[in-house]
Amino acid sequence: MSIFLQACVNGLLIGGFYSLMGMGQNVIFGVMKIVNFCHGEMLMVGMYLTLLLSTHLGLDPYACVPLVAILMFLLGALIQHTLITPSLRTNSFTNLLFLTVGLGMLLSNLALVLFGSEYRTIPTSYSQTYISLGPVNLSLPRLISFGVLIVISIALFAFLKYTTTGKQIRAVSQNPVGAEVVGINAKRIYILTYGLGTALAGVAGSLLTGFYTIFPTAGASFGFRALIVVVVGGLGSIPGAFFAGIFLGILETMVALFISPSYSDLIVFVTFIVILVVRQMIILRRK
Amino acid sequence: MANTPIIEVQHITKRFKGLTAVKDVSFSIREGGITGMIGPNGAGKSTTFNMICGYYPPTEGKIFFRGQDITDKRAHEYTNMKIARTFQIMKPLKNLSVLENVVASCYFGHAAAKNERQARERAMDILQFTGLYEKRHILSKDMGTPDQKRLEMARALATKPELLFLDENMAGLNPAETEAAIELIRQINRSGVTIFLIEHIMQAVVSLCESVIVLHHGEKIAEGTPEQVMNDPYVMEVYLGTKGGTAHA
Amino acid sequence: MNKNVKAVRAYRRNLSIALGLILLVFILIPIIVKSPYVLNVFVLVFYMSTLSMAWNLLGGMTGQNSLGHAAYMGLGAYASCLLITKTGANPWLSAIFAMVVVGLVAGVIFYPCFILRGPYFTLVSIAFGEAMRQFIINSSFFGRASGVGLPFGKDSWLDFRFMSKVPYYYVGLVMVLAIYLLMKKIERSRMGYALRTIREDEDAAAAIGINPTKYKIMAVVVSAMVAALVGFFYASYIRYIDPELMVQAKSTESVLPAVVGGAAYVEGPLVGGLIMIPLSEFLRANFSAILPGINMLMYAVVLLTVIRFRPTGILGWYMHSKAKEFVDVKLLKKPPVEVFEAVEMEKNRGKEG
Repeated sequence: MSIFLQACVNGLLIGGFYSLMGMGQNVIFGVMKIVNFCHGEMLMVGMYLTLLLSTHLGLDPYACVPLVAILMFLLGALIQHTLITPSLRTNSFTNLLFLTVGLGMLLSNLALVLFGSEYRTIPTSYSQTYISLGPVNLSLPRLISFGVLIVISIALFAFLKYTTTGKQIRAVSQNPVGAEVVGINAKRIYILTYGLGTALAGVAGSLLTGFYTIFPTAGASFGFRALIVVVVGGLGSIPGAFFAGIFLGILETMVALFISPSYSDLIVFVTFIVILVVRQMIILRRK
Repeated sequence: MANTPIIEVQHITKRFKGLTAVKDVSFSIREGGITGMIGPNGAGKSTTFNMICGYYPPTEGKIFFRGQDITDKRAHEYTNMKIARTFQIMKPLKNLSVLENVVASCYFGHAAAKNERQARERAMDILQFTGLYEKRHILSKDMGTPDQKRLEMARALATKPELLFLDENMAGLNPAETEAAIELIRQINRSGVTIFLIEHIMQAVVSLCESVIVLHHGEKIAEGTPEQVMNDPYVMEVYLGTKGGTAHA
Repeated sequence: MNKNVKAVRAYRRNLSIALGLILLVFILIPIIVKSPYVLNVFVLVFYMSTLSMAWNLLGGMTGQNSLGHAAYMGLGAYASCLLITKTGANPWLSAIFAMVVVGLVAGVIFYPCFILRGPYFTLVSIAFGEAMRQFIINSSFFGRASGVGLPFGKDSWLDFRFMSKVPYYYVGLVMVLAIYLLMKKIERSRMGYALRTIREDEDAAAAIGINPTKYKIMAVVVSAMVAALVGFFYASYIRYIDPELMVQAKSTESVLPAVVGGAAYVEGPLVGGLIMIPLSEFLRANFSAILPGINMLMYAVVLLTVIRFRPTGILGWYMHSKAKEFVDVKLLKKPPVEVFEAVEMEKNRGKEG
C-alpha cells in the first residue's frame, strides 16, 4: 500500500511538469495553430541557463527561475519575430512543422557543441533532503518545484482569464480575423504568446534542475509528453492540460509499478493513440 | 415515370445542438429545369443545400433522387449518381493550374476518364465551354473571384452531372459578370443539365428560374414561379421589405 | 503543324540526351571513383532519397505530414532480417515479405487514424513510431535493444551480400530510379490527382467524387511499403539493425531531403538528397571528431535558412528562376506550351478520325 501511495505521489510530482509543458504548448497551438516541435528543447535550454546562472553567479537554482523566465521569453519572442511570423505567411503547415523541428535540432546540437554530452547536475545543500509524510517520502526539491509550478499554473490561468492581454490572446486564438478587426495587433500577440510558451518551458526546465540531470537531449521526452497533454486535455483548455499532465504522470508511475518500468513509454504512446482515435470517433458520430 | 421529380425533399429538419436551422422543409426539383432557392441571411438556405449534397445528413426527413432514397449517402458518392455541386466559399485547388483543377475532376464520377489523354481532352472542352481556356495555365489561387466562381462550375461539370447544385455562384460579381454567369448557367441547362441554385441576387433568380422556393427562419414560406413568389404578400414583407421587387435590381 | 511536331520531337530528343548523360555519369562513378568512402556517400544518397520520396507521397502530395517513416523503414528491416535469420529464406523474397507486412500494418493501424486531420495525424505518426520502437526494445523475438545481425559470407547475388560497395551502389541506383518512376507514374495518374485534391481541400475532393479515406489509406500503404523496401536495402547493406534505426530523429532526417528539395515536386527528394546528404556526411567526417554536434548544428542552420528564405524548396525556387529559362530555352530548345497542346490535339484528332 505504501509503495502504491509513494508511486501516486511521484506520478503527481512529475505530472506537474507535463502539465506546465502542456500549458505552454497549448497557448502556442491555440493562437497560431502550429505544433511547437521544439518545446522539449526549450525546456533543455532552460536547464542549461539555470546551470550557467547558478555556477557563474552562484545563485540557488530556484532563485534563477525568474531570470530564466525573462531570458526565455526574450528568446521565444526573437524566434517568433525572425522565423515563425514570416513563415506563417506561407500558410504551409509542412514548413511551419519543419521550422520548429529544425529549431529543435539547432538547439539540442548547440547544447552538445557548447556543453558536451556529459550529464550534469546542480548540487545543492538540500538536494538529498526528504520529508516523511506518513508512509510517503517526499524529496524536498521535488516538493518545492511542484509548489512553484502550481502557483505558476494558477497565475497563468488568471492571466489569460482576467488581464487585457490575456483576453486578447484568447480572442486571437478563437478568431484571428475578428480579433484584428476589433484592433488587436495579431503580430504582437504572436510574439507574446510564443515568448510566454517558451518561458513556461524554460521555467519547467529550471525547476527540474533541482533533481534531474542536465544533458542535450533531456527535453525530448518532455516535449512529446507536452503534445500528449495538449491533445488529451483538449486544445485551448488550460485546466484540461493541467489535469491531463497529472493523469499522464500517474499513469506512467503506475505502469512502472505494476507492469515494468521499461513498458511505461510503450503504454503511454499506445494510450495516447487510443484516446485520440476514440475521441475523434465520438466527435464524428455526434456530427 | 416521366413526372417523377429528379429530387424530392420530404420534411427535412436539421438541428445543431438545440438550434433548429431548418424545420420541416419539403419541395421537389423538376428534371430539366432551373429551380432556385432564396431567403434572407440565416434563413437556412446553405444548411438545406448541404443536406441535399450529403455534406451532413438531416436530423429528420428524407431526400429522394429519382425515387431512390439518398438521405444517408456520403458526399463523395454523389458524383457517381451524376450529381455535382459548387461551393459558396470557393474551394479551388490553389496550388494547381486551372487546367489541372479540371483534369482532376475528369478522373472521377460516373464517367471517369480512363487515361490522361481522355481526361485532358475533356478538360480542354470544358475550359472552352466555361470561357477559362485562355487562363488554363494560371495557378487557380492567382485568379479573381469571377474566374474562381467559373472554375467551381467547370470542376463540377467535368464530372458530367445530370443535376448541378450551385451555391451562391454569383455572389460578389458585378452586373456585367453576373450577366455572363447567367448566360453560362442557361447554356449548361440547355445542354440537358437540371439546375438547383441558391442565390441572393434577385435579378438572376427572376431571369433564370422557372420555380422558386423561399425560406425564412428555417421554414418554407412560399413556392412557385418567380412572379407568384414576388407578389406573395408574406414574401414581400419578410424578404423584400415593403417596397416590392426593387431590392437588388 | 508539322513545324510544331518537329519542335516537340527535337525537345524530347534533347531532354533524353540530357537525362541519359546524367544517368551515364551515375553509372560511371563506381568505375572511376574507387574510394569506398565516396561510394558509401552515394549509397546513402540513394536510399535516403528513396525514403524521402516515400515520405513525399504522403507529405508533399497528400498533405499528411508523417514523422514516423523511420519506423516503417525499421519495421521493414526487421521483417526481412527476421525472416532471413529465423527461416533461412532468400533475401529477395524477404524484401517482398517485408513490404507486404509493413503495408498491412500501416494500413490497419492508420485506418482509424485517418478520421484525424492536420496536426493530429503527425502526432499519431510520432506516437506510432515510438510505440513500435519501445515494443521492439521489450520483445525478445525482435532481439530487444541489441538488435539483429545478418549472416556474413561469400559474395553472392542470390544472397545479396557483398564485400565491395559497388554492387550496393548499382542496386541502390536501380531502386531510386524505379521508385522515382513509380512516383512519377502515380503523380500523373488518377490516384495522383486524387491525392493532390485531398491535399488542397478534403471537402472539394469529396464533391468531385473522391473518397478521401480510401485514397489516404492507399497513399499510406504505398508509402510504408517503399519505406520497408528501403529498410530491406539498409539491412542488407549494413548487415546489422537495432531499434536505434527507428528513433524520432531518423524520421526527421528522412523528411529533410524532400522539404529542402521542394516537397511539391516528385523530384524534390532527389535534389534535396543529392545536396543535403553529402553535406551532412562531409560535416560529419570533418567536424564531428573535433566538436561533437557541430555537423548537425550546421545541418539545422541550412534547413532553417531554406525554410525561411526559400519556402518552396530549391526546386520551387528553380522553377521560377532565370536558370530554368536558360536550361529550357537555350539548352533543350523547349517550345512554348501552346505548341505541345497543338501537337497533342493534332494527335487526338488523328486517333478519332
